[in-house]
Amino acid sequence: MNAIDNQLSRRRFLQASAAVGAAVSLGGITAACNAIGGTAQGGTFNWMTWGDHYIDTQLKAIEASDKIIAQISELAGNAEGFAKLKEVKGELDMISGDALWVPDAYFAEGLIEPFDINSLKVSSQLYSFAREFDIWTTPDGYLGYPFGWSPISIYYNVAEVSPAPDSWGVLLDPKYKGRIVIENQPEEIVAYMGKASGVDDVYNMTDDQLATVKGLLEQLKPNVLKFAQQATDSVNAMTSGEAWLITGNLGNEDRVKDAGGPEIKGFIPKEGTVGWMDAEMIVKDGANKALLFPYLEKAEVAENIAANFITHGRPLFNEAAYQVLVNQGEQDRADRYLYNKAEETLAKTTLKGPGTSTEKSIQLFNEVFGA
Amino acid sequence: MASEIVGGAALAPPTAIGVRRGARLRQLAPFLPAAVIIVGLFLVPLALMFAFSFWSTDENLDVIPVWTLENYQNFFTNPTYVRTLFKTMVIGTGVTIVCLAVAFAVAYFLARYVSRQWARIALLVIIVPFWTSYLLRVYSWQAILGERGALNQVLVGLGIIDEPSLLFVYNDFGTFIVLVYLYIPFAALVLYASLERFDFTQLTAAQDLGASPIRAFRHVLLPQIRPGLITACIFVFIPILGEFLTPSMVGGAQGLLIANLLANFFKNALIPEGAAVGFLIAAFVTVLLIVFRRYLRIEDVVVRG
Repeated sequence: MNAIDNQLSRRRFLQASAAVGAAVSLGGITAACNAIGGTAQGGTFNWMTWGDHYIDTQLKAIEASDKIIAQISELAGNAEGFAKLKEVKGELDMISGDALWVPDAYFAEGLIEPFDINSLKVSSQLYSFAREFDIWTTPDGYLGYPFGWSPISIYYNVAEVSPAPDSWGVLLDPKYKGRIVIENQPEEIVAYMGKASGVDDVYNMTDDQLATVKGLLEQLKPNVLKFAQQATDSVNAMTSGEAWLITGNLGNEDRVKDAGGPEIKGFIPKEGTVGWMDAEMIVKDGANKALLFPYLEKAEVAENIAANFITHGRPLFNEAAYQVLVNQGEQDRADRYLYNKAEETLAKTTLKGPGTSTEKSIQLFNEVFGA
Repeated sequence: MASEIVGGAALAPPTAIGVRRGARLRQLAPFLPAAVIIVGLFLVPLALMFAFSFWSTDENLDVIPVWTLENYQNFFTNPTYVRTLFKTMVIGTGVTIVCLAVAFAVAYFLARYVSRQWARIALLVIIVPFWTSYLLRVYSWQAILGERGALNQVLVGLGIIDEPSLLFVYNDFGTFIVLVYLYIPFAALVLYASLERFDFTQLTAAQDLGASPIRAFRHVLLPQIRPGLITACIFVFIPILGEFLTPSMVGGAQGLLIANLLANFFKNALIPEGAAVGFLIAAFVTVLLIVFRRYLRIEDVVVRG
């Protein structure tokens, strides 16, 4: 090989290398864009949420049609989600949160960004009041996309609990020693006893109110068989007959019945109760937030929400889904779950939120339920 | 020896001290990964937890880095925490004793009377539960010990009890039973490793020389498997101090241990408050390890198993 050939081949080699390098770089950039969801070709976004905010078939359908993949991490509770988001910030793109946690914690801390909910076409399917909750409205936009809601009710085994109860007091009745299953949420349990003692603002209790609650917790303790790690634990305990009284979201009558359990009835205690309504929040500086609106447009359509209702069984904010349920012959179930009565039911509940008495509530719970 | 000149700088010839230092560094190099793990994954998090434990949480659940002893004060002035820690230690001690007793019997039998091939199969059977999830194993105990569980059905079927009892689960007894089940394999594996190396003819020799079987056991066997016994204690007792899943699933409202109270803080983002309880448990474990260390020489574990 002479010098000219050598130079040419070197030039060709460099040209070929540059071409290959450019192609690889372009491919890499495209792949990276897809991975972080910066293009219209889809991608993956990170979502921290509760297990009942999606159904797998819905996720797969969106992945197939729009190539949008929701990478989900399980959300255990509001406080835990809030603490985690403060750590990871923009590594998450969307997070679910309850009621007053949305404005008083996430927004106040600057972790989420408001958006124009009406710019989402699918939002027209929501009940109009769900687009106008005061607590979620800011001058810069809405703080979350409304999803589901429920007051906390007490359910009882009709054959074992009589007379029919209407008060939190039934949980303190020594007749039901070791027959109550209650969610493993210490702050909520303290809040229930706050309601039982007549306190309205159960997340901001005074020391005197907490002292009264302590007495009720001490009465409650021997009656509690166990703390349910998840809602299905309560349903299973009721179904097997181990528990005669449980607390939980709307819809447990059907869950126990569907599982072959005894007849149970639910009621909202006369002293009032706590309730939740949750929303999907857009994380400030989320790397893949461009994917969120396309995802929500697909995920929140009435058919998906109706399917979610059938699967997970508690009311949701999508009005059009109610009509779908009616068309599917599920109106009776939807009405029993107060699907159409969100506004009036939630108005009677104390919404979940961060409070000033959180630490004292946990100390109190530990004091009573420790050894 | 002439110095080399590189870029105008004179490099001194390597001295004997430099050579020794280099050799020592090369000797220490293999410890580097372990050191990184211990420092990065244990000492640094422990130091962070220690610092957090002196801070507090405000109403927005933000950690306020203002030094206070309040978290420790709460722990020691609220008798529940001390009582629950004591209860955890009592349960941990009980579980350790039962695990050691059962595991020793199994390991002794396997090491002394069973061929090595069959012993390995038996050990495989012992560790088979590890192939399934921890959660699943604890859930299965709910099904065994529960009011409608297998145990109650058998007892009612045999006429031993008239109606299903709630005494087996959702209390301290339920926690105890399940913890014993969960930790026996750890004890059995460690004790078998010790007993496998023991020459059982020494027991016969001791008895030939007039020792009673119990005396031979105490003065010949036990001292030689001491490292295994101590290691088994460490493997069983210390993790139990941090157990929160088993008590929360089978202990019910009456069977909570100290880690459950700790978890309640973290679940509610009360990190400094939880860190104080966590640090006290960690400190207690460290003290225990120091005590165990007095009776455990590293060469016992490494050389003699």
